[in-house]
Amino acid sequence: MIEEKEHVLQVLKEVKEAFRKNDVIKLHELSNQTIHSASIKQDDTSIAFAVVTYSMSKILERTNYQEYPGWTYFFQKCKQNLEQAIKGLERNDEEGFKKHIKAIEGLIDELTGNFKMHIQQVFEKAKIGKASRIYEHGISMEQTANLLGVTLFELAEYAGRTGVSDINLNKTLTVEKRISYVKEIFK
Amino acid sequence: MNQTKVIIFDAGTIINFAMNGLLDMLVKLKKDFKGKFIVTEKVKEEAIDRPLTIKRFELEALMIKKLFDENIFELPYDLVKREDMISERNKLLDLLNHTYYAKGEFMKIVHGGGTSSLALSMILSKKGIDNVVAVDERTARMLVENPENLRQLFSQKLHTKVEMKKDISFLKDIRIIRSSELLYLAYKKGLVDLKDHDVLEALLYAAKFKGCSISFEEIEQIKRIG
Repeated sequence: MIEEKEHVLQVLKEVKEAFRKNDVIKLHELSNQTIHSASIKQDDTSIAFAVVTYSMSKILERTNYQEYPGWTYFFQKCKQNLEQAIKGLERNDEEGFKKHIKAIEGLIDELTGNFKMHIQQVFEKAKIGKASRIYEHGISMEQTANLLGVTLFELAEYAGRTGVSDINLNKTLTVEKRISYVKEIFK
Repeated sequence: MNQTKVIIFDAGTIINFAMNGLLDMLVKLKKDFKGKFIVTEKVKEEAIDRPLTIKRFELEALMIKKLFDENIFELPYDLVKREDMISERNKLLDLLNHTYYAKGEFMKIVHGGGTSSLALSMILSKKGIDNVVAVDERTARMLVENPENLRQLFSQKLHTKVEMKKDISFLKDIRIIRSSELLYLAYKKGLVDLKDHDVLEALLYAAKFKGCSISFEEIEQIKRIG
């Protein structure tokens, strides 16, 4: 059964409420909470939940998306899937929970035109963004890229623009020592 | 001591050079190097085979592939047996993914490519072959040089107690460099065909912004060394 079910359920309910209220800031904050369990558990559902929450915050942030004809359908379906995911967890139905979380990204297939393209891009960028956060948590770049289904090219470029390399714990050797390694091997 | 010297390249380092349009720098460095530039099969998959299937990175993958075709990069099988390589990699992969423990679970922290580079370094060292590993990402580097720092990082970031269940101090003899040190050396050897500005700074920042885990402070320190 899902670890920390009560915590996930609480976060999920808050995600649903924030989505309903168009509360982008809250959704962003909740997406950060999801990254801890995604980093430890690394199961499909934790990863999908982290990506979905972050994507939702980005989708709501771009208010022009709400002018597309497919918006109402997409918004309602997202809400329905969140409600079903909550019910699944409440019934201890892990499969139901997983199915409805993953179904949110699956909604892309039901969209058309530019709206589809935009939503797809949001999810793709969300995967890279979440991958970068997991890497920031200490998981290797390669493992993270594999988990999120992104390339090392994308992740390296994104992570390179963050402060991930500038924290004190990263310092493991002096620059002089490391330069001596390269000079010695080239002698 | 075996006379062959080896630089083992992780995927991130090659990708860094490729994304910065600096692959020719690796060609120049190779000409100046009395040994082999080695890449494991897993790393080749990540730097070439997979990106070749993605249109956005197809060009970079083709350019990296050219370096294989021209024998700038080689697979390690002149030096080690494939089955030994796979066996050592799998043992290390299993160990490292059963080292850090949080919330009742072992954290899966590494994947095949990076681990294969570390495993190869250990095999070569046992054979007396002088080698370094070029790794840009920080997790592998921390595992080798300061696994306790990595534990603290996990603990801080995850806001939970993280324990180390295995002793991985045997990794500490692996010597790690990054694309930043390779670029520094290329600069010092006059292999960089650029001037009229702070070329070293430009190279180091370019490496950092394409994923090399070097801090701003370290860049300034390298610049001071000059």
